[in-house]
Amino acid sequence: MLSYVLRRILQFIPTVIGIMLLVFFLFNWVGGDPAYLLAGKISNPEQIENIRRQLGVDQPYYVQWGIFVRQVFTGDMGVSWATGEKVSYLVWSRLGPSLTILVPMLVLSTGIALGLGLLVAYFRGLATDRWIMVACTVGQSISILVYIIVLQYVFSYELAWFPVQGWAQEGGLLLIPFCILPVMVGVVVSLAPDTRLYRAFFMDEIQRDYVRTARAKGLTEWRVMGVHVMRNVFIPVLTHVMIQLPGLLAGSFLIERFFSIPGIGREVLLAVERSDFPVIKAVTLYVAVATILVNLLTDILYRWIDPRVQLK
Amino acid sequence: MVMVWALSGLELKAQPPVPSSAPTAPSALKVLHLTFQAAETGFDPAKVSDYYSAVVISGIFDPLLTYDYLARPAHLIPNVSEALPTISADGKTYTLKIKQGIVFGQDPAFAGRARPLRAQDYLYSIKRFVDPKNRSPYAFLFLGKIVGLDALVSKAQKTGQFDYDAAVEGLQAPDPFTLSIKLTETDFNFSHVLAFPLVGAVAREVIERYGADSSAHPVGTGPYRLRQYLRSSKISLEKNPLFRTLRWEALPSTDIPDEAIRKSMQGKLLPAIDRIEISIMDEAQSRWLAFLRAETDMEYQLEELAPKFLTPTGELKSPFREQGIQLDRSVDPEISYLFFNTAETIGNQPNPIGGFTLPKIALRRAIAMAYDVQDQIAVIRKGQSVRAFYPIPPGVAGHQSQYRSSLSYNPALANALLDHFGYRRGADGYRSHPDGSALILEYASTPVERDRQFDELMKRSMDRIGLRLSIRKQRFSELLKLSSQCRLMMKQAAWIADYPDGDNFMQLLYGPHTGQSNAACYRSASFDRLYEQSRRLPDGAQRDLLYLQMTRQMEADTAWLLTDSRYRNVLLQPYVVGFKKHPVLTNEWIHMDIDRTRMKKAPAS
Amino acid sequence: MRQSERVAVFAVLAPQGLWSLAWSRLCRDTLGLIALGVVVMYLAVVLAAAAGWIAKDWSHEAGVNYAPPNGWIFSASPSEDRLPVARESIQVTPVAGVVDPLAPVIETLRESRLALAQEPQRLATLPLGADKWGRDVALKTLKGTQTSFIVGLLAAFLSVLLGSLLGAYAGYFGGIVDDVLNWIYSTFTAIPYLLLVLAIAAVLNQKGISTVILILGLTGWTGVFRLMRAEYMKHRNREYVLAAESIGASHARRMFYHILPNVSHVLLVQLSLNVVSFMKSEVILSFLGFGVGVDTVSWGSMLNEAQTELLLGKWWQLASATLAMALLVTAFSVFTDALRDALDPKLK
Repeated sequence: MLSYVLRRILQFIPTVIGIMLLVFFLFNWVGGDPAYLLAGKISNPEQIENIRRQLGVDQPYYVQWGIFVRQVFTGDMGVSWATGEKVSYLVWSRLGPSLTILVPMLVLSTGIALGLGLLVAYFRGLATDRWIMVACTVGQSISILVYIIVLQYVFSYELAWFPVQGWAQEGGLLLIPFCILPVMVGVVVSLAPDTRLYRAFFMDEIQRDYVRTARAKGLTEWRVMGVHVMRNVFIPVLTHVMIQLPGLLAGSFLIERFFSIPGIGREVLLAVERSDFPVIKAVTLYVAVATILVNLLTDILYRWIDPRVQLK
Repeated sequence: MVMVWALSGLELKAQPPVPSSAPTAPSALKVLHLTFQAAETGFDPAKVSDYYSAVVISGIFDPLLTYDYLARPAHLIPNVSEALPTISADGKTYTLKIKQGIVFGQDPAFAGRARPLRAQDYLYSIKRFVDPKNRSPYAFLFLGKIVGLDALVSKAQKTGQFDYDAAVEGLQAPDPFTLSIKLTETDFNFSHVLAFPLVGAVAREVIERYGADSSAHPVGTGPYRLRQYLRSSKISLEKNPLFRTLRWEALPSTDIPDEAIRKSMQGKLLPAIDRIEISIMDEAQSRWLAFLRAETDMEYQLEELAPKFLTPTGELKSPFREQGIQLDRSVDPEISYLFFNTAETIGNQPNPIGGFTLPKIALRRAIAMAYDVQDQIAVIRKGQSVRAFYPIPPGVAGHQSQYRSSLSYNPALANALLDHFGYRRGADGYRSHPDGSALILEYASTPVERDRQFDELMKRSMDRIGLRLSIRKQRFSELLKLSSQCRLMMKQAAWIADYPDGDNFMQLLYGPHTGQSNAACYRSASFDRLYEQSRRLPDGAQRDLLYLQMTRQMEADTAWLLTDSRYRNVLLQPYVVGFKKHPVLTNEWIHMDIDRTRMKKAPAS
Repeated sequence: MRQSERVAVFAVLAPQGLWSLAWSRLCRDTLGLIALGVVVMYLAVVLAAAAGWIAKDWSHEAGVNYAPPNGWIFSASPSEDRLPVARESIQVTPVAGVVDPLAPVIETLRESRLALAQEPQRLATLPLGADKWGRDVALKTLKGTQTSFIVGLLAAFLSVLLGSLLGAYAGYFGGIVDDVLNWIYSTFTAIPYLLLVLAIAAVLNQKGISTVILILGLTGWTGVFRLMRAEYMKHRNREYVLAAESIGASHARRMFYHILPNVSHVLLVQLSLNVVSFMKSEVILSFLGFGVGVDTVSWGSMLNEAQTELLLGKWWQLASATLAMALLVTAFSVFTDALRDALDPKLK
């Protein structure tokens, strides 16, 4: 186990270097020049030169690469070009709001989807299964953009159940009214694909020998499914949820934008609009590293839960 | 309901930084909720250029001069100075006296002492604009204009350190409350720079204490101070407890709406509103629904939704009127225009629409005559703009409301003009150059939905006269770079007044400003000569005549097609009083109040 | 020798059996067949639109601005929000001292009494209504179907091609090739999708259909890679491959002639999965500003236009695009499920 973990951590290094190369290439080489944006409405060439010098974008690429590497190793990703805010602080402070939406969303959608998955697996091949799956497919076929626009209109305005948007800085219970609708949208959007996926997990498990054994012992079908199968399905489900998480951090930008949630996704879009490369680079790198770590963690967990799993 | 609950909780939890500053119970606070449609960048006056940051900054900092709230066109009045500046006869020396007894807001940088405002603070603040380290987007307000300042800047560029203590001949304080500014050239309009919202006094101690983080620690002498700040999400301001005593005063007016404002505000101690809560909301749908639910008190960034609440003639629709919602409608001091690159080449390629030979001018003229401005106003702007003919918009000194441009919409004439100059149509219906080579216009815009509408309009308009159009999509920052390098052929642009003087607009076409603000790269000897003459004149009939000739010259050469100036439709909840959009001031909070007696009538949803 | 050759030949022939078996299984799946029918119908629309038989003049402004639907499918009352468009007749302000070099020419042209071309009559209502310029939403939807379908299909082909090629090399050769390709794979998958999209878009720096296809293809190959790598690892030591090796088949021949047919059912399922997900991604790309160019229309561009139209009560464009998209995506997904069930009966 230990040697496995060590080997995985060693593999981690080339991937991080790969990500750094890619990020550097994309943003320093082809990313464009923000000097004119920062220079304002009226500027002269000396001012542009001055800005380029201060940002370090007038340096040769190898020097910029050196700076970037040093930034990564010291953990100090510099300051935002647009606002002067420290990038590490920026990412850290936007993490909370993003997670406040994501965690309840993942928990809810996983819970509901597991229940539905179990239900349809129980009724496999019957009409109930068919229709729930068709409903899921239809639900999945509508763009998230449409979901957000329509749900916000109906629940916030027509029904006036929730505030349209907003955020309470103090956090805690104050956040609840602001969270419900975005979480709901997230659940609605991810429910259909999750249910389909979990059904597949259940179907996979049902074929196994232990299920046959359990049935042969005379256990009720509900008990077989709800306890024995569920326990085994839990592993791939957990993996799926954990692996999704880092990507969702930057990926829930649509929800964050429409509901004005001060999260990471919205910040990334803003940074892209402003050509604020330090922020984009940092978020890309942080999320990428988080993804690798989560993958590693998942694999270890996998093995820990089920020692039979072969790890290479 | 939910919102109310959330807010009251929020106020209970908030710790007032200075205990003595909150004598009123939290529930009695008057709070104004508003939105920004784009994120601010920060609140250090010398480091920002975006509108939204300036809105907040002008609530916190005091410029020397300001504008009368109700007078139109904008009329300069003293702010922290005792009077308007004394200008020497040659228009080169400005002298002002600052009111005594004004102090900065509290900050740890002052170590608990009251910090009086002095003339030195303004000199320091002005120097900060040209300090290369701050890379201020508004350095142009002072660069090249003040005697001795540029030498200091070039020294700073060499040493990497701006010497704030070095004496500058043009920036002097003969005594702690007197300010003397010497200009390099005659300029009778420099007072507008002193009223510019970003040219407020910062305290050197504060700036030095917070260093790179000065953007998050604005400390000024103005009516508000920063209470809570969550970048690009929420900005909360509260009354500055150390703000000087100031009462709302205005002369009786014959204007009925102004009289109503006067009645509700006269004699009130300012600022009357205790708190300003700003949320950044990117999407129009969110902003609109939030206003309808009275989550916000004021909203104007709803251009694309205007037909929802305005009749075609620009009045508030009756359901909203019945709820008591108020509308303040004015034209922004802004012009939108389509510019044509008039340079012979773009990079090292020949520019198909550049140059001043007759066929080239005719080509630009034809494009200008074919572009359907009416559709831009009716369809894209949803009727929320007025046709612009003159480069100086309403509300700005030098504007000519009766002027009519010689470039008018006439696709048939445009077609005939192109035929006349030998731009022949090929088999596919598209025209080629007179010499038979392919003619492709390149129009640049950013990849956002709004610009796509302009792309569509441009394409329809050019199809009508058989000109082939290719659309170049680039990020905004990249387009800015290309346009200042004269590497764009055609693009839509807009310019909003930095200060309400025509020069701020006319300079956009001045030849030597190519590479800076002259995106059309327009160089016309006669225009430049007229412009240089106009620089030496104060606002008046003589200068207006020059502006008129310059405008016609620009049309004759067809460097721009002026399109429109947008309306600003400000929606206000029934209980918001005292608001009237000012053409130049970036916020009106200090002149406004919330009338609790009208609060009950507010729609619950 | 003869024995192993027979094994090899059998292995090549075997897929035929698999496909016909799968087809007969598919035929028993009514829902799957209906879905297939819908997909084929869409395909016909796409081909017809691509050939220019239908929706050719989708950009023609047939109706008035925001003409409402005429009640065949949707109905809505005409809005009273329209501004009367009055063409201004301009009395040009005279300015002394400036010479317009074109004035003489324009005067002569004006004197030849140019008549402004008569504005064609526009319809007050259209089957599915009109957009802001008065273009027929029905035609836009058809044309948008063509664009989105082609984008989804080509991008899916690209991603599957890329993924299976790299996956085949990684899985088949193993060792250093595998390590390098795996390294690229983990780098790509570690970077969040949104940022990868924005970054690739920045590199391509061109807008239009080909960019959308490239963005989707270049970001979507990783899933296929993982599966194909696993399949090739499984197959490379199978008897039939070893047999092919012993009769002197080259690596390339073994990889693409012998193994590929045996794993192609995985590819087919991946292809259709990607088509579905890419058609949806195109909408998000449009929102981010990387949609199709102005001379064409896609579901993504329609939905983005329709965003604010909905609040103004002009819901028909949103409804048309959403319906057209939902129907195809549902049908395609159901068909994909049926296909997977048919090809991989284990799951049943």
